[in-house]
Amino acid sequence: MRKAMTWLAAGGAFVLVMAACTPGGDDNGDDGDGEAGGELVWAIGGAEAQPGGVHQQVAELWSEQNPDNPIRIELLPEEADQQREQQALELQAEGSGFDVLGVDVIWTGEYSENGWVESLEDVRAEIEEASLPGAFESATWGGELWAAPYNTNAGFLYYRTDLVEEPPTTWADLCQVGVAAAEAAGIQPFIGQGAQYEGFVVNWLEYYWSAGGELYNEDQTEVLFDTELAAQVTQFMADAIAQGCYAPGFNTAQEEPARNEFQQGNVVFMRNWPYVYGLVNEDTGSPANGNFDIAPLPTVTGEGTISALGGFNNAVSAFSDNKDAAIDFVTWAATDPEPQTLLATEASVPPTMESVYEDLSDDPVMALLGEVLPDAKPRPPAPQWNEISVEMQRALHPAVNGQGDIQSAVESVRDFLEGTIE
Amino acid sequence: MSDVATAPGREIEATPRREGARLWGKTGLLGIILLWCLFPFFWLIMTSLKLGDRALNSPDIFQGPFGLDNYRNVFEQDFQLNLRNSFAIAGMTTIICIVIGSLAGYALARLPLKRKILLLTGVLAVSLFPPVALVPPLYELWRNLGLLNTWEGLYIPYTAFTLPLTIFILTTFYAAIPKELEEAARVDGATPFQAFYKVIFPLAAPGVFAAAIIIFVTAWNEFLLASTFAPRNPEVAQTVPVAIAAFTGQVEFQRPIGTITAACVVVVIPMIIVALAFQRRIVAGLTAGSVKG
Amino acid sequence: MAETRTAPPERNRAPTGRGGPRARRKGLSERALARLFIAPSLLVMGLVALFPVIYAMVLSLYSYTRRQRTGFGGLDNYVDALTDGRFWSALQFTLTFTVTSVAAEFLIGLGFALLMNRTFRGRGITRAAILVPWVIPTVIAAQMWFFMFNVTPGFINTIFGLGDFSWIGQPGWATFAIVFADVWKTAPFVALLLLAGLQTIPAEMGESGLVDGANAFQRLWYITLPLLRPAILVALLFRTVDALRVYDLVVVMTGGAFDTESLSVLVQQFVVRTPDPGFGSALSTITFVLILGIGLIFVRMLGRDIMVGRGAER
Repeated sequence: MRKAMTWLAAGGAFVLVMAACTPGGDDNGDDGDGEAGGELVWAIGGAEAQPGGVHQQVAELWSEQNPDNPIRIELLPEEADQQREQQALELQAEGSGFDVLGVDVIWTGEYSENGWVESLEDVRAEIEEASLPGAFESATWGGELWAAPYNTNAGFLYYRTDLVEEPPTTWADLCQVGVAAAEAAGIQPFIGQGAQYEGFVVNWLEYYWSAGGELYNEDQTEVLFDTELAAQVTQFMADAIAQGCYAPGFNTAQEEPARNEFQQGNVVFMRNWPYVYGLVNEDTGSPANGNFDIAPLPTVTGEGTISALGGFNNAVSAFSDNKDAAIDFVTWAATDPEPQTLLATEASVPPTMESVYEDLSDDPVMALLGEVLPDAKPRPPAPQWNEISVEMQRALHPAVNGQGDIQSAVESVRDFLEGTIE
Repeated sequence: MSDVATAPGREIEATPRREGARLWGKTGLLGIILLWCLFPFFWLIMTSLKLGDRALNSPDIFQGPFGLDNYRNVFEQDFQLNLRNSFAIAGMTTIICIVIGSLAGYALARLPLKRKILLLTGVLAVSLFPPVALVPPLYELWRNLGLLNTWEGLYIPYTAFTLPLTIFILTTFYAAIPKELEEAARVDGATPFQAFYKVIFPLAAPGVFAAAIIIFVTAWNEFLLASTFAPRNPEVAQTVPVAIAAFTGQVEFQRPIGTITAACVVVVIPMIIVALAFQRRIVAGLTAGSVKG
Repeated sequence: MAETRTAPPERNRAPTGRGGPRARRKGLSERALARLFIAPSLLVMGLVALFPVIYAMVLSLYSYTRRQRTGFGGLDNYVDALTDGRFWSALQFTLTFTVTSVAAEFLIGLGFALLMNRTFRGRGITRAAILVPWVIPTVIAAQMWFFMFNVTPGFINTIFGLGDFSWIGQPGWATFAIVFADVWKTAPFVALLLLAGLQTIPAEMGESGLVDGANAFQRLWYITLPLLRPAILVALLFRTVDALRVYDLVVVMTGGAFDTESLSVLVQQFVVRTPDPGFGSALSTITFVLILGIGLIFVRMLGRDIMVGRGAER
């Protein structure tokens, strides 16, 4: 009983002390009260936005050159969905806490529809001239430019040079060569991103696009979804799983589990982003180390290459107190060789400026990107993209895993796409 | 210690011949329980000590190289500040919940109140709405009140959403205490309030401390509200789970498993100490009280 | 309402029964005290929770195209939700998950509690060990179990020599893996509550069983469990309502693939990923009503225990 009283008293004391409340609550607060002076706030997330990351270096570079309008990074979480949610909460409240927004290439339409971002039509010509066409396209919606391209990304085919002579050019070849090589080495043929998430849609689209399929026409007023082609590539993936061309972990793998399989030497081929290259090269104990190379992704037809485009653009918040400076910043980051080169040389983040790649041809990753990116395709940056993606995941993922009828799955995707343009 | 008194006379009946077999059985059972609870934790510890990208992902727990780099990384990211925030926020939640929840629980268990079941239902209902749907309106409200990125902005909603659990636990524990004891106190001239804090509260100690641990751990581990209301800045109010989720690899897509597991070990050890300290109180409850009389 | 019937009648009529000896001792001051005691809790919960809940319920009556409000829709969102196959399959998974995980957690938690309640060598470390799973943040525990079950790195397959068995890559086993992770993580919660309950059972109760020559199981069944009933009900109640809102484990381990999409995952999708505040709020409200309905069953059962108290059960 006495003890209980002591606890209670100690608790009471604790309350009193704590009630003095949060340390430094207001000096660093970012609750959207209009930023004084000319400082810009750049809301961007991920590894490169951390202290020491390349986005920080870009911000410092700008701040040095523009002491009147320095820029500060407001670090968003790692995951894209959470980044979007945090931007959305601030923008929904029409808060001026963020001036520049790091916007995933698939959010452009949604942000413009919600009136969250400023139109960049005034600087369009400059940006269009400097940027890769795919990256530029991903920043437009409804014929208008809503963001300035900043960094981009494309998928590579990673292959083991000690197990196969040269990279296959069609997916069917890949399975054929892969199964034989894998059997000889006692490992698995291929891994990509087959878990039920956005990456699965990216992987699926790379098959579908490379077979000649399209989702919409140019200005997205008409659905061009080809159910026959879609059923064909879905069937191909289902067979690849059933026949052991895809490693057993394929249907639960995101980027990292896929990299892990390759780095542990468990697969012959892998579809992944450029980031894997450096990591496997650093890992001297890996069976793949020194025994792998990168190539453009195969296609269904065997012609050319195609990759889904990733990356982030910079948009200007419609609620910013300092729009002019913010527009200057995003234009600079898209069109000045200095920050764009910094991305590539400091962090191997693929820049969006076409001319930068010419000077980077010594770097094998950048050289391949320079080759692949002109053919890379953005997912339609429509306001409905998230809904479309969820629907495609829900219909196609079970179909690929032999859980549902392929024909009805692709038909439901077509119906959904048609519903989006009415 | 005082724990010895808790289970009197339960182990006297075995005959010597069966004792050996029973001992083996018990040891085996204990072994399984320890393995079940601790193996994943052991994996966490081993992973947190591994260096190099591939070792981290190897199915072989004992594949090196090993080192303390991950722990260094954790503390380079101001993790001690996150720990401080979490301790303060979870501590405040626990104290407020226990204090005001005790009062409510006592009223519901012992005092005359109309429509108790309706009240209990109402209390329960508070915590049942899917929290993710409450975030947007609360965010707006918090924004206007200036509660974003503050400790208060987190422990106030935590208190509100954990109070139902607190009240339910405490109500049942108060209700389980024989009424005669309290009435005896009242006959001795104690006021209702004295009866509450001198007789009932200590007797309900096991329930109170069980509730306290549960509240503390729940508030400590909460992620959704913490990541929306205080997503950044360890100097201000970012909590431990949010900080761990914010760890990034060196490059995009890379997941820093080593750093994450190291942070997790750093978090779990003080948590176990806190939980054990409270748990002692649960088990010591009986001996501190006077029910036996 | 019907619930009030269970309350002892004299309490309902107390204000009119002023003047009797009972009322003088227990009357106004106690009633006022009761209100005073309960007020702070109701105030905090009301201030924080009431506004957003009502706000969400109001939103559920409007129709939206993504984030743009397009008009008043009445109950359209509810009709849409209830006719959507996804809702029913999510409900099915959620119920399966809840029943299996809560049942397993109860059995294991009870075992843990009985064990923690005894004296034996190695008791300290066992008690600490039992708490470990529970203090690991859910998001991390979920990731850990993903690593354990997934084909890569495949710890469970390595330990049991199962080769490339894909636990979370096929229907059925994926549900099992999620249930398993949840049981591992939350059985200690049940154990703690039941341990506290065991501690309030006076020792002579257990001893009286001994005298009658009852064996261990009979003692547990006829003496311990009935006395433990309130604690069991509270533990089951809160485990059930929590399990019905399972989210993190599913998102991290399967992302809702292989028939493991839960109601909360669905709600999250329409609030965050593909925002439709109207439909999302309607789904939330349906989920809320469902959980509250199940919770009510427990509350009714508990209500009796609380009203009557242990004294009357002797």
